[in-house]
Amino acid sequence: MTEQVSFPDAVQWAVPFFIAAILVEFVWIAIKGRGGRYETRDALTSLIMGAGNIASGFLLGFIAYAFFMWLWQITPLDLGTSVPVIFICFVLDDLRYYWVHRFGHRIRWVWASHVNHHSSQHYNLTTALRQTWTYTFTFMMVVRAPLILLGFHPAMVLFVGGLNLIYQFWIHTEAIRKMPRWFEAVMNTPSHHRVHHGRNARYLDCNYAGVFIIWDKLFGTFVPEQESDKVDYGLVHNIGTFNPLRVAFHEWVSIWRDATQTGLSLRQRLAYCFAPPGYSHDGSRNNSNQIKAKHLARHPEDHGTPGFEGFSASRQNGLADRS
Amino acid sequence: MPLEILLVLVVVGISGIGLMLHLTGRSRMRVLTHDLAWQDWLRHFPDDDVVDVTVSHDGHFALIRTKEVAGLLWSFGADTAARHLLDFDWLEHPEGFEILFHDFSIPRVIVRLDETERRHWRHLLDPV
Repeated sequence: MTEQVSFPDAVQWAVPFFIAAILVEFVWIAIKGRGGRYETRDALTSLIMGAGNIASGFLLGFIAYAFFMWLWQITPLDLGTSVPVIFICFVLDDLRYYWVHRFGHRIRWVWASHVNHHSSQHYNLTTALRQTWTYTFTFMMVVRAPLILLGFHPAMVLFVGGLNLIYQFWIHTEAIRKMPRWFEAVMNTPSHHRVHHGRNARYLDCNYAGVFIIWDKLFGTFVPEQESDKVDYGLVHNIGTFNPLRVAFHEWVSIWRDATQTGLSLRQRLAYCFAPPGYSHDGSRNNSNQIKAKHLARHPEDHGTPGFEGFSASRQNGLADRS
Repeated sequence: MPLEILLVLVVVGISGIGLMLHLTGRSRMRVLTHDLAWQDWLRHFPDDDVVDVTVSHDGHFALIRTKEVAGLLWSFGADTAARHLLDFDWLEHPEGFEILFHDFSIPRVIVRLDETERRHWRHLLDPV
């Protein structure tokens, strides 16, 4: 077994870079008069959410780390810490990120943690820092278990996860329109990720990638940004608060209220917790498939265009949405 | 990174960015016109058939009546937030009305209206 393995906390060391990059983006937008928008309270909320995310790591990170170290004790495999192993770990962890992120949009319990990242109606570098405080409660750390059981040291797995998050910082911008074609084909880019943050019917539930966009292309969730459909950022039902506590916990509160209504069956209560966002026992809400179907009913000309492949106006009983 | 340095960076960074944004005019609220309010409502609720729109004198609030139900649209920073008036409490307030949505993501909205508007809005909302 590899002992005494130590990797830096990359995200903490990137904080000065985050601040500098935000200043640069802001000045660039101010000078050019295009490439994004900043709003004081929105940006402050995002930044406080970012600080709270680091604080929650200090407070609750030990739970995941203890779980990972337990896995490390029971696995007979140890791949070491060579550079090629770190690279392979980075790629596999990005695949892990894709699935956790996809679960984050398709399972309401995980969405409750992730929703705050999508709760801004703006899209700038501060939005990247609008991160969850409640990830631990989603138990999505189990998705990292295979990596550790395969012999990647927990410290390395957490290190590459940090690099993954740092990579994703710079793609939260409207200041960069498109990267070179080869880069857009392989990597997650500002253009691809803008689409992911869109509340337009076309852009719901797509582009889950962290670093490599190839996962979306492989698993059929890729939608390219359309010149004809400008991305509208935020949630299907936008929140009306800048209070970080409400931003962090509002979906958890909604789950509680929904699941504890009187007169529901156990199945309905569980569905309020774990079904895709937009589920309701009485059909009073729309999931993403229903939103897309309704959009197609209003705009039949969009049939078969990116984001609507396989959808029809009559297909109302879908699975997920960003409510 | 030492915790003290991280803490200083975070506090100074957040305060500095906030101050910079405020001093450069990024705290201005969205001002609604009749057409903007109509357009923003459909952005939030594209399935609605809007019947009429009443914008408050300061341009920060709009009462929207649709074929189904009334709704409130209000300036939320540089953007807007909106809700149908379905599950809410409607209270008198010295500045106009206070609306308490039973929704953790929207604590309350104080709708600032002058006396004439207050009477008008109350009349519009009577059937609700």
